[in-house]
Amino acid sequence: MNFIVEIERSKKAKLEADEFNSYLRKIYEPDLTSLLKKCYQCARCSGVCQISKVQKFTPSRIIQMILEGFEDEIIDSQVLWDCLMCNSCLQHCPKDINFADIVRIARYKMRLKDIQNLDRSIAHKGIYPLMSELMIQKNIKIERPLDWIPKDCKISEQGNILYYVGCLPFFNYEFQDSNSIAESTLKIICQLEKDPVVILKDEICCGHDLYWGQAKFEVFIELAKKNISIFEKAGITSIITACAECYRTFKIDYLNLFEDFNKKFEVKHIIEYIFDKWKQGKVQFKNPNESNDVIPFTYHDPCRLSRFLPKDNKIIEEVREIFKHLKTIGYDFKEMEHNKENSYCCGVNSWMNCNEKSKALRYKRLLEAKAVGTKMITSCPKCRMHLKCLKKDYEDFSSIEILDFSEFLVDLIKIIEPNQTVEEK
Amino acid sequence: MSVLISKEKKVKNKEFHPNILCFCCNWCSYAGADLAGVSRFQYPSTIRIVRVMCSGRVDPSFILEAFKDGIDGVIVTGCHIGDCHYLKGNEFARDRFERFQKTLKLFNLDKRFRLEWVSASEGKRFAEIITEFTNQIKELGPLRLI
Ligand code: SF4
Ligand code: SF4
Ligand code: SF4
Ligand code: FES
Repeated sequence: MNFIVEIERSKKAKLEADEFNSYLRKIYEPDLTSLLKKCYQCARCSGVCQISKVQKFTPSRIIQMILEGFEDEIIDSQVLWDCLMCNSCLQHCPKDINFADIVRIARYKMRLKDIQNLDRSIAHKGIYPLMSELMIQKNIKIERPLDWIPKDCKISEQGNILYYVGCLPFFNYEFQDSNSIAESTLKIICQLEKDPVVILKDEICCGHDLYWGQAKFEVFIELAKKNISIFEKAGITSIITACAECYRTFKIDYLNLFEDFNKKFEVKHIIEYIFDKWKQGKVQFKNPNESNDVIPFTYHDPCRLSRFLPKDNKIIEEVREIFKHLKTIGYDFKEMEHNKENSYCCGVNSWMNCNEKSKALRYKRLLEAKAVGTKMITSCPKCRMHLKCLKKDYEDFSSIEILDFSEFLVDLIKIIEPNQTVEEK
Repeated sequence: MSVLISKEKKVKNKEFHPNILCFCCNWCSYAGADLAGVSRFQYPSTIRIVRVMCSGRVDPSFILEAFKDGIDGVIVTGCHIGDCHYLKGNEFARDRFERFQKTLKLFNLDKRFRLEWVSASEGKRFAEIITEFTNQIKELGPLRLI
């Protein structure tokens, strides 16, 4: 009897391993040379590299070394943990070498080699990636509090439209104001939707950080599978998120794993969502204060929405169209010196590289913001956290208010009732 | 075959012995634990003590990592408020874990974690706390994360 059980168990384990490998093959290409061989060493990547502004780091040299057969030396030297994964290099590469993606693969290789335990050097002692890892455990039941939900919002557990909150409640432990992003976003969506919006109590992390930052692909695949089964159980057809990272992960990285993901679910960032509703004539912008002061504000493009999306994605233009329109209600949109695809990185990606060097990048970014406005809007909750964290340290930045896109718009948006538009017509 | 079955039975009847991780600060609680041992107070052998210099040294990520690696319950002990060797370490620990408790609640792990103050002379109290906590974890059952 026991023998049979044992055989069954080993069969099951083998099946699981096969399944995992079939997924892993889709996101992991071990032959780096084949990915890099198009590079002709123009070194533009090293010229634009963001981290090279504050420390020694030359992507083109690293590429050359890998091509010359020193891949093992590069992996052993652990130098690739320093890359910010900001994708500026891809923007400027004439041969479309996706260096950040190669770094991601190399990080997985570094992890397999197990030279140095990296987990201790992740920002906040790696607590947030650890939380994501716990979420795939079968015996852990996630129970999110729902106390942040505005009173007049109708929510449900089943339905079509999901507001994917992301990790905000988990950040709450150190960033007490993170719930206000979720609150404002839900407020906007609720006013625009007739049906109750789905908020999942057992929602889990999308896995972005483990995919890019810590290269724990095993956990990423598990999270993706679990997420999809949760969505399917709740009957979701469209997903709205206010997080740049979740958006990119659902739109592209999940699609690599599951070809039918975008057929099953329509993913929208809150910017796209508001833009569409605005174009359909369902929202207007109104200034609640009657004063005539013009408030200058600026926008920090998160890398996930500017450099990490396919070229046909219009988010960076859409958000600017909304912002330019706001001039009519007393908000004057000004560009920072580096904007759109060229914008500076906040310096901490997936909780990696929070150190004095990336702090210099954040400092530069806030200097640019200070030069043009008093409000700095961003649409990535983590950018907001990291920039706010720097702002706390320097008094000269106390004049800047750093806000999330939804936090900024929630008071300015005015919903036109459906019947009212009919009358107007 | 009979050998196998009896072995299986044994496993079934085996009482659940939780794995408990205990962080003790060097100056009070570790001495307290020591005293409990020296004066032969009985307490369950389920705990593994990790000595740290101060309860303020214990980061919440240690606790999550312990759970991830198969620990069923974590207890952090330090000097009483005001007695910390480094003046304020335990106050930091108190504030930090108060906030962290809410995060643990999201994972339904809040009952498996505890923060206690034990001074060097409270060997008996140390034994009592450990016994009580072990019973609590026994009631909750194994976590089975690995
Ligand atoms: S910009 Fe592109 S082609 Fe030029 S060196 Fe860098 S990776 Fe190679
Ligand atoms: S992703 Fe950013 S930090 Fe990394 S090499 Fe490219 S430009 Fe430099
Ligand atoms: S910049 Fe601040 S908030 Fe961001 S990882 Fe570093 S310490 Fe944390
Ligand atoms: S030394 Fe004991 S708590 Fe700080």
